[in-house]
Amino acid sequence: MAPAFVIVGASLAGASAAITLRKAGVAGSVTLIGAEPEAPYERPPLSKAYLRGQASFDSALVRVPAFYAEHGIATVLGTAASRIDTDRRFVELVDGRRFPFDSLLLATGTRVRQLTTSGASLQGIHSLRTVADANRIRAEMSPGRRAVVVGMGFIGSEVAASLRQDGLDVTAIEPSKTPLYRVFGETVGRRIAELHRVHGVRTVFEDTVESFDGDQRVAAVVTKNGRRFGCDFVVAGIGVEPAVGFLDGSGIHTDNGIVVDEYCRTNLEGIYAAGDVANHYHPVFKRRIRVEHWQNAMRQGAAAAHNMLGEPVIYDDIPWFWSDQYDWNLQYAGFHRSWDQLVVRGQPDGNSFLACYLNDSRIDAAIAVNRGLDLRRVIRLIKARQPVDPRRIADESTDLRQIAA
Amino acid sequence: MPFETATSTKASAIRPGALARIDIGGARIAVANVDGVFYAFDDACTHEQCSLAEGDLEGAKVICACHGAEFDVRTGDVLAPPATEPLRVYPVRVADDILHIEV
Repeated sequence: MAPAFVIVGASLAGASAAITLRKAGVAGSVTLIGAEPEAPYERPPLSKAYLRGQASFDSALVRVPAFYAEHGIATVLGTAASRIDTDRRFVELVDGRRFPFDSLLLATGTRVRQLTTSGASLQGIHSLRTVADANRIRAEMSPGRRAVVVGMGFIGSEVAASLRQDGLDVTAIEPSKTPLYRVFGETVGRRIAELHRVHGVRTVFEDTVESFDGDQRVAAVVTKNGRRFGCDFVVAGIGVEPAVGFLDGSGIHTDNGIVVDEYCRTNLEGIYAAGDVANHYHPVFKRRIRVEHWQNAMRQGAAAAHNMLGEPVIYDDIPWFWSDQYDWNLQYAGFHRSWDQLVVRGQPDGNSFLACYLNDSRIDAAIAVNRGLDLRRVIRLIKARQPVDPRRIADESTDLRQIAA
Repeated sequence: MPFETATSTKASAIRPGALARIDIGGARIAVANVDGVFYAFDDACTHEQCSLAEGDLEGAKVICACHGAEFDVRTGDVLAPPATEPLRVYPVRVADDILHIEV
């Protein structure tokens, strides 16, 4: 009998896997199961062009909805999986339907961390992960309205930029010293803070929300340091966590997401994970990393599909993503948590620079501000894991393609 | 009806493997030199309108520096996302070292 391929998570990773299975001409059924009602779509526009009404939802779709049926991919949308029976090998949905599988991919992504602050259940407090979330925020957006953005990670920073660009009054509250402090450190973080201030965001660092005030709707945000910001609505971007609740009792090993090896395999035969939910062993960095970005979802989903087909593929792409804020194109590649040397090419107080994070003279990661070409060229150096001469990286007259990898 | 424009750009000014941007009337056109053969196409990436002339050229593949979309400069076909729409391409002719582009 032809094998049943089941994918839980009608996400970019899930869709990429389904498309890859069909492109490979696999015999057997391919079923894509998703909690959201929409056909799989890409999330990057939700905090940027889509939020600002500059891009349609259709343009964010991975494929037009009709594509799936036309290519023999059964979609089961709007219903989340509730459990996996790994002995009898079926997926059960919250409505009780069961889907037997021979090969299973888990691509459920993340869910937003919930605010636990006093007043967090007031109306007008939003988070952003799905298109439904984006639509709720869009409905709040009109010039002059006052928004408070809680958290200046990638989502918070992008939302703050989009709201300002559309003429809203924006206050952003972030517990760290700068936006994106944990990833980028103070030098780059300060520059991003300045970018937001120049564009008129009221930035509040090293402070957190004590409470949300209001009757039914939020009317003000009060901080631990005692500041009070009147507002019409709030967008919280306080991070996400892997969506693994449905795996309780399944025997599938989780630890900061679903633990998989370099082939995207879980601890159980025939069960794989990819995308934001997968804590994947990365052979270049020789450790597990979980990446919550577009390229990883697309490429790791495809790699997992090849492995499901019995064509072994080690997934070793260098993680890479972009974050567009105002007229800045930020890009990051690699993986780092700490660094012993920061090497900057260009002026970090200007609008175009590359910052490389090194350990033991090797580049672990880099961020580019309006320097996508430099970043592309550094990815090769990150992958090579060879020591580099930091003076040559910093020297603008050096062609980064000429540095030995 | 398309008509050919003699640009003020010398073909010899664009080395093999290089990209250049040429404005023709109101149109932003990018030109690629692929091993001595010139190809012209819209400079604006179909994904989010970044300048492709500021991207990378690898063989006949242009790579957008902003978000990594890839196109075949000979046909305009999308080779890698996030772009989904093909690029418009334009015929190019070189006469006396001057690029002529049919826009």
